Amino acid sequence: MKLPDNMGHFGAYGGRYISETLMPAIIELEEFYKKIRKDNSFKKEFNYYLKNYVGRPSPLFYAKRLSDIYKSEIYLKREDLNHTGAHKINNTIGQALLAVKMGKKRIIAETGAGQHGVATATVCALFDLECEIFMGKKDVERQEQNVFRMELLGAHVNPVESGSQTLKDAMNEALRDWIANVKNTYYMIGTVAGPHPYPQIVRDFQSVIGKEILKQIKKLPDIMIACVGGGSNAMGMFYPFIKYDKVKMYGVEAGGLGIKTGMHAASISGGRPGVLHGNKTYLLQDEFGRIKNAHSIAAGLDYPGVGPEHSHFADKKRIIFDSVTDEEAVSAFQMLCKLEGIIPALESAHAIAYLEKIKREIKGKSVIINLSGRGDKDMHTVSDYILSK
Amino acid sequence: MNKIDTFFNKLKAANRTAFIPFISIGDPDIEASFEIAKTLINNGADMIELGFPFSDPMADGKVIQKSYERALKNIISMQDAFDFIKRLKAYRDIPVIFFTYYNPVFVLGHKFANGARNAGVDGVLIVDLPPEESDEFTKYIKKKDIYQIFLLAPTTDIDRMRYILSYAKGFVYYVSVTGVTGARETLSAAIRSKVKEIKKISDIPVGIGFGISTKEQVKEISEYADAVIIGSKIIQFIENNINDKSRILKEIAEFSFNIRSSLS
Ligand SMILES: Cc1ncc(COP(=O)(O)O)c(C=O)c1O
Repeated sequence: MKLPDNMGHFGAYGGRYISETLMPAIIELEEFYKKIRKDNSFKKEFNYYLKNYVGRPSPLFYAKRLSDIYKSEIYLKREDLNHTGAHKINNTIGQALLAVKMGKKRIIAETGAGQHGVATATVCALFDLECEIFMGKKDVERQEQNVFRMELLGAHVNPVESGSQTLKDAMNEALRDWIANVKNTYYMIGTVAGPHPYPQIVRDFQSVIGKEILKQIKKLPDIMIACVGGGSNAMGMFYPFIKYDKVKMYGVEAGGLGIKTGMHAASISGGRPGVLHGNKTYLLQDEFGRIKNAHSIAAGLDYPGVGPEHSHFADKKRIIFDSVTDEEAVSAFQMLCKLEGIIPALESAHAIAYLEKIKREIKGKSVIINLSGRGDKDMHTVSDYILSK
Repeated sequence: MNKIDTFFNKLKAANRTAFIPFISIGDPDIEASFEIAKTLINNGADMIELGFPFSDPMADGKVIQKSYERALKNIISMQDAFDFIKRLKAYRDIPVIFFTYYNPVFVLGHKFANGARNAGVDGVLIVDLPPEESDEFTKYIKKKDIYQIFLLAPTTDIDRMRYILSYAKGFVYYVSVTGVTGARETLSAAIRSKVKEIKKISDIPVGIGFGISTKEQVKEISEYADAVIIGSKIIQFIENNINDKSRILKEIAEFSFNIRSSLS
């Protein structure tokens, strides 16, 4: 069966749970995207920018020292080498082209750590689009450098003071702006979540990751691992491999201080199905259906929801979801620096950390890990964390 | 017959436009919000819309966001909300519209519908549940004599209007601004013609809400619509006088009385 269905459902998940004011815009986007998705000149243009601007294809690097330690064959998909330092740019290039074709001149986006915000500000500069970024006030304070980067790129950053002042509230505020300015504004969502057709659009644009891997390998891997915040880097890598049943997939969520403490961002491992930000999916919530604050040392994973397609594959057990803690992620971060000379993003370090959890299983097997981003942005966070220990 | 229908039939016979105030349950606290609801009823509210405070009110402006934040400090459960409504209905049996986002309803499912029915809820307005996704909720409220109240927006075109109106029961809520909730001074001239379009398609009553705050706006709306819904403007009285409950009640009573007097 093809997913999503016509109504944007991935099994029991997904859909469109939004204000009526936005429904016509969402339907317009869906219809426009349906047409352009198969359009060869659009594909060509997308690939042109991926190659000449982002620097794709990204290498699939055989990590020898890491492999030796785990007695397995470990490859890293180097999304950290992309322009702007993460996989996020794959999606924003695609959506910016879409916005331009739709004749929308004003772009809005939410951001947590600022990675999607930077990727959005970047393409807005590239394509001469007005750019408004919504970012929780707490994140603005935590991620000063990314705020400055966005401003250098010509974006206007709006600190969001409502609710918990983090990513979920930034998304609420972006939706409010969209409700008020829907006629001339394109909402650029940063992950495989939100109302249909966003989960599909972002999946399609990020799938370049998995498609490249298919060309880069000689045989199918036994295991694939990716970190999961909203799930875009994971879906981008997994999706072209979903049909190969023998490829085992692990989605690693942010365990924060540990699932039992309640201080985590593991929506699937530690949450329940619910409805937020336009889709039905696993969420962190209390008994009354109110959304809980997420916690993770990796700001890009610090979100109480996850893309609906992941929820579906979790129930179907096609993707296995588990989590690693802040502490485990920081250890893996340090390990990768020393072993391979690669400073990973703290988000990506969660995927690396999972090797330790399945070290018996991976012995003698081949493993591909999505190194979704680089760690330059995390220097302060990691040094503070190490000093506080 | 659902009480909303009987109510609008009566209004129509009297050639009267309904005043429907909106407040959040539990703002500033449960007892004070109960007093506010009573005050509204005693000063001209024909029907009342009660909001269940939610952590992520994506369709609401600053005033209602803050109202929810104040209410959330009091940890209002769904049962508290149902108890509130039951007591209010015992005080005065007017139609009650329960306003919420979908998640708090979804996590309870059938339990929500049973509780709402027992409390006396007549209509449920779920701002993030368009007809496309409403089947599940329709199953919950089946045979419960509760209506889902649907919304139309300025962005809704005529085909989609027809589609939504085919689902609508009780009354349809026309969102008068392209934006979130919050008081505005002026009224878009397009509302009158939109309501005309709606009336051509269906004879369901039309309520106008979002951004309504003045007597002048209300007077104008009463010329072409069946109900006017006012939220942020009323809740602003709570925010402005947060440490003076008697003043909150006094200002809300005056405002409510003035609005009712401006309606035909
Ligand atoms: C480097 C990196 N990896 C992963 C993520 C998590 O997002 P997703 O799960 O959508 O890939 C982010 C988000 O900011 C990120 O910056």
